[in-house]
Amino acid sequence: MNKFAMGAIVIASTVTAVHAETAVTQWDQFSQSGISAAGPAMDELITTCAPALDGASVLRTIAPSIGIRDSYRLAVSAGKTPDLAYTWPAASVLAGYARVGALAPLDGYYEQYGWDHINDFYRGRNSYEGALYAVPMEQDLMGVYYNKALFAEHGIDLPTTYAEFQAAAETFKSAGIVPVSFGNRGRWPATNTFSLILGLTAGKAAEEAVLFGDTPWTNDSFKLAAESFQAWANDGYFPRGFNGVGYDEANALFLSGNAAMTITGTWVLQDMIRGATDIDLGVFMLPPMKDGIEAGTMWGEGSQWQLSATASGETQDAAAAYLNCLLGDEAKQVWVQKANTVVIGTTPEELAEWGADPVVQEFFTAGLATSENNFYDLHTTLPESVTQVLYPELQLLIGGEATADEFLNKMQTAWELAIANGERWIP
Amino acid sequence: MTKPLQNIILGAFAIYALVPVYLVVLAAMRSEADLFSGPLTMPWPPNWQNFSRVWNESGFSVFFMNSVKISASVTALVVLCAPLAGFAFAKMKFRGREPLFVLFLAGLVVPAPSVIVALYGNLQEFGMIDTHLGVILPQAALLLPFSIFMMRTVMQDVPDELIEASTMDGATPFGTFIRVVLPVVRPGIMSLILIVFLISWQEYLLPLVVLQTEILKPITVGAASLQGRYGVDYGGIAAAGLIAFAPLAVLFLAMQRSFVRGLSAGAVK
Amino acid sequence: MAGRKFLRPASSHSDFPMSSRISYFFLLPALLLYSVFVVLPILQVVGFSFFDWDNGIIGQFVGLNNYSRLGGDGVFWAALSHNAIWVVLTLAFPLMVGLLLSAILAERKSSTIRWMAAIYFIPRTVPLVVAGIIWGWIYNPLFGLLNFVLDGVGLGNLAGAWLAESNTALLSLNVVGAWTFFGFCVVIYLAAIQSIDPSLYEAAEIDGAKWWRKFRDITVPLLKNSTLFLGLYAAIEAMRFFDLIWVTTQGGPGYATEVLTTHVYKTFFLVGDFGYASVLSVVLLAIVLTLSSISFWVLRSK
Repeated sequence: MNKFAMGAIVIASTVTAVHAETAVTQWDQFSQSGISAAGPAMDELITTCAPALDGASVLRTIAPSIGIRDSYRLAVSAGKTPDLAYTWPAASVLAGYARVGALAPLDGYYEQYGWDHINDFYRGRNSYEGALYAVPMEQDLMGVYYNKALFAEHGIDLPTTYAEFQAAAETFKSAGIVPVSFGNRGRWPATNTFSLILGLTAGKAAEEAVLFGDTPWTNDSFKLAAESFQAWANDGYFPRGFNGVGYDEANALFLSGNAAMTITGTWVLQDMIRGATDIDLGVFMLPPMKDGIEAGTMWGEGSQWQLSATASGETQDAAAAYLNCLLGDEAKQVWVQKANTVVIGTTPEELAEWGADPVVQEFFTAGLATSENNFYDLHTTLPESVTQVLYPELQLLIGGEATADEFLNKMQTAWELAIANGERWIP
Repeated sequence: MTKPLQNIILGAFAIYALVPVYLVVLAAMRSEADLFSGPLTMPWPPNWQNFSRVWNESGFSVFFMNSVKISASVTALVVLCAPLAGFAFAKMKFRGREPLFVLFLAGLVVPAPSVIVALYGNLQEFGMIDTHLGVILPQAALLLPFSIFMMRTVMQDVPDELIEASTMDGATPFGTFIRVVLPVVRPGIMSLILIVFLISWQEYLLPLVVLQTEILKPITVGAASLQGRYGVDYGGIAAAGLIAFAPLAVLFLAMQRSFVRGLSAGAVK
Repeated sequence: MAGRKFLRPASSHSDFPMSSRISYFFLLPALLLYSVFVVLPILQVVGFSFFDWDNGIIGQFVGLNNYSRLGGDGVFWAALSHNAIWVVLTLAFPLMVGLLLSAILAERKSSTIRWMAAIYFIPRTVPLVVAGIIWGWIYNPLFGLLNFVLDGVGLGNLAGAWLAESNTALLSLNVVGAWTFFGFCVVIYLAAIQSIDPSLYEAAEIDGAKWWRKFRDITVPLLKNSTLFLGLYAAIEAMRFFDLIWVTTQGGPGYATEVLTTHVYKTFFLVGDFGYASVLSVVLLAIVLTLSSISFWVLRSK
């Protein structure tokens, strides 16, 4: 798309905006029906937040089936992005769009509306070279869902150390119950699990040394993490043929009482709660896996709101006002109550006050207790070209077809290529 | 090879062909709770709810109509273009006939992922993104190579005397085409209609990329999207899958001879 | 316009006694549609491959720079080998099976022929996306039919993770592809067999030839054209298929089921490297065009 065409489009859209009522086009992925349907909550909030828009309206489109990540990329290449999009991932991919000028910088709005509850960790993930380009809304973290009845039946207390976790897994294995349900056919679940293991084995500082510094992937603590993940697979913690089992199927296996635990995140809380009709659901945090590593968990913001650089000034202002409403206290309550989604800045007390589901409260209370120690979600942090290497290489690693060294070498090669190509995320 | 052995072979492959179909029918009548209770158990009484749920709540009635609309339009467009071109290649002489035919044939091999990005950009320029037209036009274009090839083969069989007689009676080429040639090749055109409809109905990637609004989607995209990120609605997916291909199967069974004639038009020469 | 009327002897090639301008009008609708929606994108993609891209935004002209990455791209070569394997598997299995089945069927009564052919063809009516989902269930390690049956007949130790293990994934997917293709072969071969002169078979029987010999010496050679056609069709499809893999394994586990089209898709959409993705597309197109040209030449010289 050359600059002339770009300019023409900007002029055209400005002219249209001036003559017509300001409409903010929004793309998101909240589905309208089905289990994890936060769509209705989104619609409700559009109506509630209408006054904040001061005359403008929000035209909502649920993302094309191809997935919002892919369709946003197409939209950027065709030079026609929606004014507002709630998409993922942040960090490197966001950086890519910012670098080519597809996104509008948002520092001004951050100041104007005082979105201070968005802490430095999240700001970092949503900025590029010092400027903010997206507004995160949800916060997601990882933990271990477990079947309370199965634990009680086998006399297992909640693990507080890694050794206890391993012992619990062994006990379940001998009893013929799948210790940890896991389905990696989609290739991304392993990236989440690995992110958690990495954080609890290498620690936040080691991650940052690689992500922002010069430390190579082939360092000792990363190697230990890779070996641990592979060991879990080797030792039979996962169901048979896990690289060919779907993510939802793995969750269904857990919810049907055939597996004792599953290690995933809060993004699937809705499904878990609604599906836990046969089991008694609980959550605990995975303990650190190496001595000297502090407790913590993997955090991410799921998706973030991005503003198109081609949107007119009026549209951008309207969108920002709308976003401010979506992050407000009233909206936060709707998110929690109607969509089991927890906005950044929500406190455990508020969750209790608003009658959030006990599991939701359990999860976030445990997670927020260690909020200083957030590990990175590799899946939404790495440059896309590196993610595309991580997917298959992780499958090979835990499938037992690659050693930890081979895995890390492949990752390092891809990483160096990405850096040389300027794809690195610099917050 | 003895008769019994032959029958075993015939039977074995019939099982190969039908067992997955049977599984889908079975799955469509089960609910999520049955997922882990063995793949062959048939719930009693059969649960028709998946069909009604998928048809009404998940919007499959709309997806179905979209598929009908898109496939019918694609077929109509192809029938408008391919016989004319096939006739020209078969019976008319003009400069560049061979190269142009090869140009069309080359399109037989184009893989969708290769051109989809450029196509998307163009469709965006034309304002056809998120419209049915943006799916119909490219699909028809992509089906032209096969259709023109088939039409040419069919038209080559039209006796030259018929055409000459019509010309000598003073008919224009177009008139000859409409009044003399088309009636003769009508079976071939029937076959073309069926095959194009079948292939167009099964298209996945193009509508997936071009269509954004939920209510515009055809059935292939709808069925695949039920396999969403969260949730294991296999009964629904099975019901959707069944709705997605049952019409084609019925169509084929009813018009088998026509299909077969069309398919072999290229091979049996 | 129609000019002179004159008498011409019947010839194998009819010439319309008028200017070729009319012919172009006959071609116009098809040509227009085809040029805009097929030829143009192809030319664009070729053009794209010579530029440097960043996240879908075009950059500078870099000539053949992007092409030089092909040599070192392990995924490309793995994908290419998988496409090649797919071609061979498709030619070996569904094609041969179709030939055999049609030869057996041809001797039965016509209602049997029609029913069996219909049964074999039904899988072809299933969109590949749906076929992938269905077979994914069959292959599912946890609750799939295949392992269930194997466990049931005592062959449980053969049970595996089919789509999840590198050495079985591609093969398992090919079984699905074959499932949709063999009926098509049966149909084509049946039509061709029906034009074989039955007296050839009668003569062979008098000579004491059994079924297998008749099949090998008469049926197979006489069906050569159909075999060539189906082989060419299978080879081209084996290079350009996408839906089946994308809805099941997306190229995994590892790179075991990566093919050229999935590599192209990922490079375009996920990595966003339009320049290199265009290169891959051009290479893919070149391979298929070469394949088809060669086969076309072979077919024409018959």
